[in-house]
Amino acid sequence: MTGFDDHRPQPPAEPAAPPGARLAHGEVLACRRLRKIYRMGEVDVRALDGVDLSLHAGELLVLLGASGSGKSTLLNILGGLDVPTSGEVRFGDQDLTDAGDDTLTEYRRHSVGFVFQFYNLIPSLTARENVALVTDIAEDPLDPDDALAMVGLGERRHHFPAQLSGGEQQRVSIARAIAKRPPILLCDEPTGALDFRTGIVVLEAIERINRELGTATALITHNAPIAEMADRVLTMGDGRIQSERAVTPRRPARDLRW
Amino acid sequence: MTWLTALDRKLLREVVRLRGQITTIALVLASGITCFIALRGTYGSLEHSRDAYYDRARFAHVFARLERAPEAVARRIEALPGVALVQTRIAKEVSLPIEGLDRVAYGQLLSLPASGKPATNALVLATGGLPDPRRDDDVVVLESFARAHGLAPGHRLPVVINGKLRRLRVCGLARSPEYVYAIRPGALADDPRRYAVLWMDRGVVAAAFQLDGAFNDVTLRLQPGASEAGTLLALDRILEPYGGFGAVGRKGQISSRMLEGELGTLGVLGTMVPLVFLGVAAFLINMVLARLVALQRTQIATLKAVGYTTGEIGRHYLALVAVVMVPSALLGVAGGFALGRSVLRLYEGIFRFPELQFRLSPGLVAFAVVVSALSATVGASFSVRAAARLQPAEAMRPPAPARYRRGLVARLGVDKLIGPAGMMVVREIERRPLRTLLSALGIAGAIALVILGHFGVDSLSNYLESMFRREQRQDLAVTFARPVPPRAVRELAQLPGVIKAEGIRAVPIRVRHDNRMRDSVLMGLPSGGSLRRLVGRGGREVSVPEDGVLVTKELGKILGLRPGDRVDVEVLEGERPRIRPAVAGFVDETVGLQLYARAGTIARLEGDAGAVSSILLSVDRSALASVERWLRQSPRVVDISEVSADVQRLRDMNQAAMDIWTAVSITLAACVIFGVVYNNARIALALRSRELASLRVLGMSRREISSILIAGLAFEVLLAVPLGLVLGRAWAELFFSRAVDQETFRFQVLVEGRTYLMAALTAVLAGTVSALWVRRSLDRLDLIDVLKTRE
Repeated sequence: MTGFDDHRPQPPAEPAAPPGARLAHGEVLACRRLRKIYRMGEVDVRALDGVDLSLHAGELLVLLGASGSGKSTLLNILGGLDVPTSGEVRFGDQDLTDAGDDTLTEYRRHSVGFVFQFYNLIPSLTARENVALVTDIAEDPLDPDDALAMVGLGERRHHFPAQLSGGEQQRVSIARAIAKRPPILLCDEPTGALDFRTGIVVLEAIERINRELGTATALITHNAPIAEMADRVLTMGDGRIQSERAVTPRRPARDLRW
Repeated sequence: MTWLTALDRKLLREVVRLRGQITTIALVLASGITCFIALRGTYGSLEHSRDAYYDRARFAHVFARLERAPEAVARRIEALPGVALVQTRIAKEVSLPIEGLDRVAYGQLLSLPASGKPATNALVLATGGLPDPRRDDDVVVLESFARAHGLAPGHRLPVVINGKLRRLRVCGLARSPEYVYAIRPGALADDPRRYAVLWMDRGVVAAAFQLDGAFNDVTLRLQPGASEAGTLLALDRILEPYGGFGAVGRKGQISSRMLEGELGTLGVLGTMVPLVFLGVAAFLINMVLARLVALQRTQIATLKAVGYTTGEIGRHYLALVAVVMVPSALLGVAGGFALGRSVLRLYEGIFRFPELQFRLSPGLVAFAVVVSALSATVGASFSVRAAARLQPAEAMRPPAPARYRRGLVARLGVDKLIGPAGMMVVREIERRPLRTLLSALGIAGAIALVILGHFGVDSLSNYLESMFRREQRQDLAVTFARPVPPRAVRELAQLPGVIKAEGIRAVPIRVRHDNRMRDSVLMGLPSGGSLRRLVGRGGREVSVPEDGVLVTKELGKILGLRPGDRVDVEVLEGERPRIRPAVAGFVDETVGLQLYARAGTIARLEGDAGAVSSILLSVDRSALASVERWLRQSPRVVDISEVSADVQRLRDMNQAAMDIWTAVSITLAACVIFGVVYNNARIALALRSRELASLRVLGMSRREISSILIAGLAFEVLLAVPLGLVLGRAWAELFFSRAVDQETFRFQVLVEGRTYLMAALTAVLAGTVSALWVRRSLDRLDLIDVLKTRE
């Protein structure tokens, strides 16, 4: 693998993002005083309790937190999968707080790539077709084969999910997420279901996308060592951001150990 | 396959994976389309042939018989408002002593105008020509009768006309709009061998019956929009002095009435039966899609997460409906065409049109396809909406464990009896009562269909049983051209082999009560008679009172009569006397609308010595043939009917049609039941395989886990059986009240035990086959694989 240089990204990067999507300080995505309360069965769960966050162009942000800290909820709201109970979400100069279904769909369709903990591949589609699922509807997508090549799966493109290992499935999921050239990549515990060795390969793929395409990336994990590959680490607990630190220098994914 | 989007491929692969379920649903939908097209197509074809025929042959709207009127009266009839065409003619009953026929054939002789082309009721010649005006023995014969006897133009035909035997020359074979359904008056079923219609030149007929310059029958065609009721009244007034028997519209014309009755039956069947299939198909589609959506929650959420719109996802799942629809429509239309043609072929032997072709109008096909597509879409819409509305974040979380509660069974303490495995079955049913009920209803609909396909046979048997064992107990009924003196009864009673002879007098009458009126027959029964019995409520025999009349219950309803009321009775023959007898009671009868009185009452009314119009005979079986031979010699006898032969013919005719319906209904019902149980089983298996595999890991045997799943399915089938039997019975009643002319026939809807049994067995068998399939799949359940899968 080449191009895994160890330097900070150059914000703002290449013109992949829609015009006007960038804030003054290279802020691509931001939220203020975010709260989310929902009912789980018969109980009220306060998943987010006043979160402030911004994601800058080209940066790799890690959200660290234990299970139940609210990080998945935060990622869902940032990704337009869910709406907050209160607070504000902005994508560039677009207000997503009270956005309707159409606006959120449009946002997900063109601006966000999502990587899921359990890959969420469509079992009835091959690796290439899973990527094509996105390129079929995106405006200026990568070729699905190129996207798969970027995650090192060019040779396995005609395999069905059931014929791929967990790490391979997750890399297909990453290829699917970046094939639309989104300005934002959101990863929800991308290594959560994987063993160490495979996890590293997946993280390398994410790192490479972040570097080469300059995609602003937010990665959530409960696995503290992964934070070392980030530009910035936010620690979450009880639905709040409890601490923030910058990582200098960033460690290459291949050097991580846990 | 680059022209296919990734989503299209997902669809294709799902279709392949769900092929079993898609096939069963397609079969159910296709069955619905088949029934709809076959029944509605037959209906449309008959209707089209009828309309074209009636129009082309100028089929009359009004028909009247009378004693005799001078031709000049026709001018007054023509002058009635709304009358377009008038055709007077002579109509007389004749008999045909055909060689080799075991019984006398009965014939209707009609006159043709000199031109050979009547203003109304034109003949459609099949072969030969019209009577040659220079000959006095040319006759055109009803085609069905001629074919039954192998008659062709040039052949000779023996006919007794006004007591004289003549050998007529057949000049042509014809069909007539008046005899689309040609049935001997008073007969139960048509018999082409024994019922002839003959057309001869008016001059010849008039000479034979001394009716020169006169007529005794008139038919009218009305202008569009003319009032039939008004014309009937006006015509009756004109004909009254000439011995009019009361004019009737097409409703009173037997051929037209039978045809309309059959169309009514087809119309009701064509609506009711397809509804069952479409309802079941909609339910199945709903069930299968609901499960697909439930299983694909995460996939749907992923599609949303990567930016697919609600509409795109909705269309994706709706496309499955289109996939089901295409083969269903093709199969259904083809099946409907084939079934429709064979149904129409059955009708060809009964209703005789110049042209009868199965017509499949594009409109009908489009309607069938659109209606079934709509029902499928409605079935799909709930799940598709659920899929489209699924919140992506919601779907990312695993679904909360399904909520169960301590239900009724647990509260009753039964849980201790049936154990945890039994409670799994009970709770599953308690948790989805609606699905269980709908499944049971679907199966019940199929069971009801079997009953609907077969109850006709049961009811007919019952009908014939009650009519001939209870009401009409004679072996032979002898009908005379004109009433004969009472000594004829004694003469026949003395014939060797005759056990008993009883005379009956039938007089055409018009009855009125308040403002209601009906044309009917007053029957005079001998006191102490036993061959013709009247049966009251609850099958109790009632005897005719000394004075007063008994009234058929149905006629009583029409006239709004109660016991003790007086009715106006006007005799429609002779001196037209009027009487006002009291209603002594009601009779439960299977056929006709009649009044009954003592023979003496009628003799006084008519002022004769008790003439009879027909004689009922009880005959020793071995002497039946010789008695008939003797009767055939008498020129006064116009008809001899043997009850058992009539009954047999009716049974045969119905059996043939009913065999087809029974087979079709059982096949289609099995399709539906299999569709419901199979789909339920697959869904249950998919949703619960993890749970069942866990039980296996905990040490349960294959047999034990199969019984958990099968018990749920068995419960649905067992619940469906009583529901289906009740529903079938109710449908039969509904079908009957809608489709059958209650004034002519009063069948009691009867479903025999073995029909219920057959319906229930169909359900249990189809259910068992499905259960065996479930068992097989469970035996193959790969424990490790199932438990590894994250759903």
